[in-house]
Amino acid sequence: MIRLLNVSMMPPGVGQPVLRNLTLTVPQGEFRWLLGPSGAGKSSLLRLLTLETRPSAGQMDLLGVSVSQASRATLRNLRRRIGFVPQDYRLIGEWTVFDNVALPLRLRGASERDTRREAFAVLEWLDVAHLADKRPGTLSGGEQQRAAIARALIGRPEVLLADEPTNALEDAQARRLLATFQELVDMGTTVIVATHNEALVREAPATSIVLQDGTLAGADPQDGIAARRSDGT
Amino acid sequence: MSAPVSPGLRSGSLPLLVALMTLLAGLSLAGLTGVQTLAEGWAGAARNATTIEIPSDTPQLEDRTRALIQTLNKTPDVTTVRELSPQQVQTLLAPWLGQVSDSGHLTGLSLPVVLIVAHTGTPDLGKVVHEALPEAVVEEDRRWGERLNGLGSSLVACAWLAVSLIAAIAVLSVGMTVRRSVMAQRKAVEIVHFLGAGDVTISSRIAGRAALLSLAGGLAGLFFLSPVITMLARKLAPFSHDAGPAALPATTWQTMLASWWNTLHVLPRLLLEELGALPLIAACLGWLTAQTVVLVWLRRLP
Repeated sequence: MIRLLNVSMMPPGVGQPVLRNLTLTVPQGEFRWLLGPSGAGKSSLLRLLTLETRPSAGQMDLLGVSVSQASRATLRNLRRRIGFVPQDYRLIGEWTVFDNVALPLRLRGASERDTRREAFAVLEWLDVAHLADKRPGTLSGGEQQRAAIARALIGRPEVLLADEPTNALEDAQARRLLATFQELVDMGTTVIVATHNEALVREAPATSIVLQDGTLAGADPQDGIAARRSDGT
Repeated sequence: MSAPVSPGLRSGSLPLLVALMTLLAGLSLAGLTGVQTLAEGWAGAARNATTIEIPSDTPQLEDRTRALIQTLNKTPDVTTVRELSPQQVQTLLAPWLGQVSDSGHLTGLSLPVVLIVAHTGTPDLGKVVHEALPEAVVEEDRRWGERLNGLGSSLVACAWLAVSLIAAIAVLSVGMTVRRSVMAQRKAVEIVHFLGAGDVTISSRIAGRAALLSLAGGLAGLFFLSPVITMLARKLAPFSHDAGPAALPATTWQTMLASWWNTLHVLPRLLLEELGALPLIAACLGWLTAQTVVLVWLRRLP
């Protein structure tokens, strides 16, 4: 479960907070779209949820851990339970696609045999297994994005966060990815996807977290969080 | 090759830096050991010897000298009493008293009798000699030994200071190199950190590489150090008490090797051990420095 209570975030050197008094709850095993115009604070919220930064104020609980007070070791263990597809892919250029994808499992101490089996399974599912030995720099944007998705999916994370995960994918691939996200949700993973792709949102109606100028732009009566349903209900 | 879980260390200059530091540290250690060995040798020899000088105008010089030698031989702790021959006394005094004549005598001077008494412990020879032959002058070489010891200690302290400074410079150089490498790979380090890699996992991989490169640099430094040390040892050999086999003239590579091997025997065992340990010490310093630098850098990340 993800729970934010009056969370604000003010990066160092910035005069005003990029997120203000954010209060929301996402129960475990649910899907949320993260919507809002550019500069609304979507990436900042994802940075908070991927533990790249801590809240400047307020209370944030992630998978039952209070992030504000957590030690470095606790945060490290928490990060291993989160999958993230960054908008800029963040693949390590000196490593092969396989090593990039295998990293989360290796960090969890999985055997090399299991790591290899799982990495190739997810690479094959995303049609990039033939690129396993290539360096990310030699791949197209779409191929890099699929490698980044593979790294986020491997080992079935408890929370999956994705920042514009379909912007370099073809429509069929994007739909297939959405189906995978739904499968993960069915298995108990919490999935939050930030996107500008309205067609995609219409295709998979779900509760949305809508941000505007660093605050929630609406209230969802069902779970009490400030949000709105993307299907208009 | 092990599966990567963190970026490694990128540094082509680290082995060269460490090689230079090893070379300098080796030279300082050689100097230190040389000074220590010479000072100890000289001080040891002086500490256990007393020189007795009997003026040439002493009445019944020969008889009383013989009596004194007998008395000294019976004194506890005295091991040997040696009377220098006139030729030896002339040679000894020549630098201060002038040219030796063609006949082998110092012109216009009658020479004293000089006795060298070797002993263990610290017998009061002054009292013994004064009772037996009041005209004799006793020169306790121990005092020279103490002065030599003092001089040796100062030189040893300077050499240790030099070694410490070199170690400090090496640590700083390795630290800056590691930091530059981390900054160059900042994005990769951040990626593995945010995927859940522990600080020690990241730092250990970089430190392991730093240790390997430092070891390679240390071995290279040692390789270039050995001919320099050999050459210095050959120059210093005449001053050493353990001069060992004489160096062979180096004409072919076989004689050069044989000469190098002979000179190795001249070097004190402690120095050889210290030099052998230098690459390992360099590796340990490299590892520790890299660990510290990376761990401190990682503290900036949440």
